[in-house]
Amino acid sequence: MTPLKATFHLRTPVALGFPWIFFDSLLAHVALREELGERYFALPTKTPIDRIPELPLKKWRGVYAASASIFEPETELAVYQFYKRGDFPFPRGKIRRGSGFFKDFIIRAPYVPAHRAVFYATGELEEVRRLVAKVSALGKERNVGFGAVKGVEVEEVEEEWGLVRGGLAMRPIPVRLLRRYEDAAYLAYKPPYWAKESVDLCAVPFTHVELA
Amino acid sequence: MSSWLDRWREYFQTWYDEGGVEEKAREAAEFACRYIDGGAVSVSGGKDSMATLHIVASMCRGDVEVFHWDHGPALMPRQIEEEILRNIAAAAPKARLVVRRYSLGHLEGARVDWRPWYREFFATLQSLGYRHHILGIRAEEGNRRRGRGRVVDRGRWVEVHPIYYFTWRDVWAYVFRHNVPVPRVYYTYARHVGWDRARLTTFHDREFEKYGNQIDSVLMWRDKNYRDENTAKKT
Repeated sequence: MTPLKATFHLRTPVALGFPWIFFDSLLAHVALREELGERYFALPTKTPIDRIPELPLKKWRGVYAASASIFEPETELAVYQFYKRGDFPFPRGKIRRGSGFFKDFIIRAPYVPAHRAVFYATGELEEVRRLVAKVSALGKERNVGFGAVKGVEVEEVEEEWGLVRGGLAMRPIPVRLLRRYEDAAYLAYKPPYWAKESVDLCAVPFTHVELA
Repeated sequence: MSSWLDRWREYFQTWYDEGGVEEKAREAAEFACRYIDGGAVSVSGGKDSMATLHIVASMCRGDVEVFHWDHGPALMPRQIEEEILRNIAAAAPKARLVVRRYSLGHLEGARVDWRPWYREFFATLQSLGYRHHILGIRAEEGNRRRGRGRVVDRGRWVEVHPIYYFTWRDVWAYVFRHNVPVPRVYYTYARHVGWDRARLTTFHDREFEKYGNQIDSVLMWRDKNYRDENTAKKT
């Protein structure tokens, strides 16, 4: 396992569904899509799948040594609002789109107009390189052009910064694994990040911690 | 944040004079004061209801009763709820405050199924027996509200909307001129979605998904993974 840094060069701003993107979740997404092929798009949406593929990342007490995203340059969040109109097979005027079941959605997409998204991790360099090469876009609302990736670089770094760097948590770490922490919240700390089974009381990314 | 807020405060203070907000407030008070007897000011804690409460409490004679509905911790983070209660006490110190809490509001499911909420809310209103509910509803907020009118007879009670003709600028101008306390979360949202679109609704609530509440997950990320006691036991 090699300490590494993955830099995604972005063509367009990244829309977010949470303040951070997690590197292990990104790799899990790519690995699972690779493993399941077309079946990936027919997965259950309400229950987490029973198996997450083994990731080429180091694990420390059940937590992947993979950081949350660091957006560069550091910029303020912006919001893009648009309407998601249903493509329904009904004749014009037959359904009400101003209210009720078929009402158009307002989407407020918070986005970061960053040039790069950087992640730190410890893992198998070549395998990580292979997986990240398959990422064409980051974040949410990728289908309308957000988060387009221009290129990815994965390089070796001198130290392991996937968990902690300079005393700061680089990702959510359950507080039960910490000796000291500055700030905590209920956060997911393992894939799938959307499942409540992955949630625990964790140290907040980029706050001071000390591993137990 | 402060310089940004200061600039906007200055803008709204100017609008208070230019937009004739003082006269509008006086007219709203005159209208609302007629309904105080046997009625209550229903306050969610948002800017509109807080401005309405301030108008009524500062300009009407007689005892003011305030009704506040607590959505529960799954829908309204406790720090905001506590702030709302403090704000109500500060805006109308002499008013009698009646608070009722949603009995399922501590469950994670409250974010997904809002039908029991409506049932309980309206049953509570009925049991309280107020003849008039003074609300901070404004015509500008949407077609449905514009169509309602300033006074709506609901059968068991009458809804009264004193600030019905206020615009969002008027409300903010009133809030800033009179230092009406509003939850600080407004400023976070106003900065990102604009002052006209910043509203106080329940958070992470599936009911408001169609209105762009995806932004809650980023601006209110700390409260996204709410865990009620049942969930905590299962995991």
